[in-house]
Amino acid sequence: MSLLRLENVSRKFGSLVALDQISLEVAAGELSAVIGPNGAGKTTLFNLISGFVPATTGEIWFDGQPINRLSAPDRVALGLVRTFQITEIFPELTVSENVRIGVEAEAGCSGSPWPNRRRTGEIRARVQELLDQTGLSSQSSRTVNELAHGDQRVVEVAMALSRRPKLLMLDEPTAGMGEEETDRMVELIRHLHTRQGVSILFIEHDMDLVFGIAQRITVFNYGKVLAAGAPVDVAANPLVQAAYLGGPQ
Amino acid sequence: MKGRARTIVATLVIWALLLTVPAWLPEIGGYTALASRILIYALCAMALNILLGYTGMMSFGQAAYFGLGGYGAGLALIHLTHSTWLAVVAGTLLGGLAALLLGALVMRSRGIYFAMITVAIGQILYFAAERWDSITGGQDGLTGFSRQPLRFGHLTVPLSDVPFYYFVLFWFAIGVAVLAILLSSPLGHTFVAIRENRRRAAFLGINVSRYVWASFAVAGLVAGLSGSLNALLNNFVSPADLYWVQSGNFVIIAVLGGMRSFWGPLVGAIIFIGFQNYVSSVLPNNWETVIGILFIVIVLFFPSGILGIARRRARIV
Amino acid sequence: MELVLFDGFNGLIQGAFYALMALGLSLIISLNAVINFAHGGFMVIGAYLAFTLEPYLGFWGALVVGPVLAGIIGILVERLLVRRLYGRSDPVYSLLLTFGLALIIEDSVRSIWGAQGVPFAIPAALNSPLSSTYFFVTGYRVFVVGAIVLATSALFAFLRFSSFGVRIRAGILDLETVSALGVNVYLLRAVNFAIGIMLAGFAGVLAAGVLQLSPTMGNDVIMATFVAIVVGGIGSLLGSVLGGLIIGVAAGVTSAYAPVASDVVIYVIMAAVLLVRPRGLLGQEGLFE
Repeated sequence: MSLLRLENVSRKFGSLVALDQISLEVAAGELSAVIGPNGAGKTTLFNLISGFVPATTGEIWFDGQPINRLSAPDRVALGLVRTFQITEIFPELTVSENVRIGVEAEAGCSGSPWPNRRRTGEIRARVQELLDQTGLSSQSSRTVNELAHGDQRVVEVAMALSRRPKLLMLDEPTAGMGEEETDRMVELIRHLHTRQGVSILFIEHDMDLVFGIAQRITVFNYGKVLAAGAPVDVAANPLVQAAYLGGPQ
Repeated sequence: MKGRARTIVATLVIWALLLTVPAWLPEIGGYTALASRILIYALCAMALNILLGYTGMMSFGQAAYFGLGGYGAGLALIHLTHSTWLAVVAGTLLGGLAALLLGALVMRSRGIYFAMITVAIGQILYFAAERWDSITGGQDGLTGFSRQPLRFGHLTVPLSDVPFYYFVLFWFAIGVAVLAILLSSPLGHTFVAIRENRRRAAFLGINVSRYVWASFAVAGLVAGLSGSLNALLNNFVSPADLYWVQSGNFVIIAVLGGMRSFWGPLVGAIIFIGFQNYVSSVLPNNWETVIGILFIVIVLFFPSGILGIARRRARIV
Repeated sequence: MELVLFDGFNGLIQGAFYALMALGLSLIISLNAVINFAHGGFMVIGAYLAFTLEPYLGFWGALVVGPVLAGIIGILVERLLVRRLYGRSDPVYSLLLTFGLALIIEDSVRSIWGAQGVPFAIPAALNSPLSSTYFFVTGYRVFVVGAIVLATSALFAFLRFSSFGVRIRAGILDLETVSALGVNVYLLRAVNFAIGIMLAGFAGVLAAGVLQLSPTMGNDVIMATFVAIVVGGIGSLLGSVLGGLIIGVAAGVTSAYAPVASDVVIYVIMAAVLLVRPRGLLGQEGLFE
């Protein structure tokens, strides 16, 4: 069964059609990539799925239920969690405080007005678990705006994981990263997918990376789906080659 | 742990100083009622700081709940009760209830819009209080009540300056404890998350407006408490307690002491009220200019407040 | 019937006046990113300068020189104080700095010209009713509305057709890009601030002929001005004019039928507008939030 399904979803900004009749599916357990040139509508797609902007027309289903009318926080509660192209973190808090906010939200106690010793212990343990998983333990008490760019992006992923996502959406997870940082992020994505069974949908510009790890690729161009399928099929698709990969090589 | 030890020592020193005010303040030229006023303004600014410094919402209408607390306490003493305790409770609840209801109107706005709507609400209440002569005493303010002696069994304590200071300190301690517990709770963490990055908070599943509302209600509740005490301090409530200039005073007290520190507004209130008191006796005609210059100097040279500077220096050393 | 017209006309004057104040403040908020609480203070300065100059220059001279002097004071304030806030993203600092400035201005005006209100002479030619039926339509009132329409049109023409004005508008939308294109942003902001203050000074001189001058006359005006801007939508100059007219007319009409509510009505309108349109009538999403 598909975890995420979009049916004829469009988004217009004034007269500009950013996404035009998109249909798309992500299966449970899949590691799926979205590629396409700048302005093809990839981030708009993420914004629609995550509830950042509403769809103009069309239906979005997640985990068997329509989510068009749900607010962004409600979608997160269903297990639909995203990161952003430009890292969104809590800049003046430490690494562990950043993650703690998410853990508390997952524990359903964001609105609890008094501290509770037992719960505090559980939350601390879960934060530590997430930091270990993402390799951030050694930096846990550093303020995140002092961290290297790559580490900041890992913090954002750790925060997303705190909500135990059914579908983790990563918007250009390796943007602006050096080779070493990129390798680390790829390793993390692989680990999450294979060891923890997290379904992942990610936008990426690095073609070697995409064709290296994705099980399924959807190609966007001018707000439309140009092609979708397994990496070999997509790479062989003449439309994709012409429009995006720069013609047959 | 070093930082924690320092915090504990600082907190103990603050409470020791506050408990002994009537003993040492007159020695340095102050008077006890002045200390009561400082505590009252500090409490209101600390409450505002939950919104301003911790949730990152620029409220410019804190005086509304301060003033309502005052009217609530005064009217309770006139019409309902002879208990000073109950008057405080009534004023606090009025401020809190008003903030709870009006918070629903403001919780979705941000930035300048938030500041302007909070100002607008304060102004509506100000004009209402100023015009509704039969209830509020109109422009002349609310009079005809005075703080009643406290009864403990057979013991009756008249609330002259010094006992009243301890009465204020008692409520100040409760208000401060509520705020401190709140800030160390998950809700307090949520407030800070909203200040740091609203978008990230929302996409971690946090319903931002709901918690802005909560922050607003708490700030209003404690402002109501502070306003009640202010009414009892003066045995008088003025519509000017609701006016936007008064809201500005609370903001400057919070900024002056340091918006990012819990005790900052207390330091800000000591300086602001002390300074105002001194200048208005030395320069009765031009104290506004001096206060204005103080505002400008703080903004230009001490933007992170007195405690902000102290903390930065401590970090370097 | 006359009464309705009378109140409507009064409201129109008030609205035109708020629109002028709101337009100047809107320029400053949009380009200088400064919430200028002292805008009412600058209006008072303009009014009192005109009062002082009038015996020497006459009404018409004072009408021109008063606002210009206010603008020069504005430039000084921008260079010495306001400029230092440009790097700070938190609007609380600009609010507090100009709040302090407003206190200083009010106090200084009181020290220089006295706490009591003073009358301001307007030319006899402008002071007589234009018609015996509509006695309230004095020449001066018509002149005020005309002068404001003229000043507003001139400003919009300047912003649309002069290259400097185009830069100001571009800067309001995206200051970084304008700066990257090689425009001297410091100069742009200084001139813009001065223009905003001149408009406030001009409003002050015009108001002096209708209201009596007093050091505190800026206090209520500044709040009404903020309300006008929020109603119109922060960042929209046209919105500010619209917002000023709406709340002015509403206040004028309300003061006729329910005097008690006349001070409150503008805040009620603002609350109502924001509930329906959270960014005001013509405001844009994401700006100034």
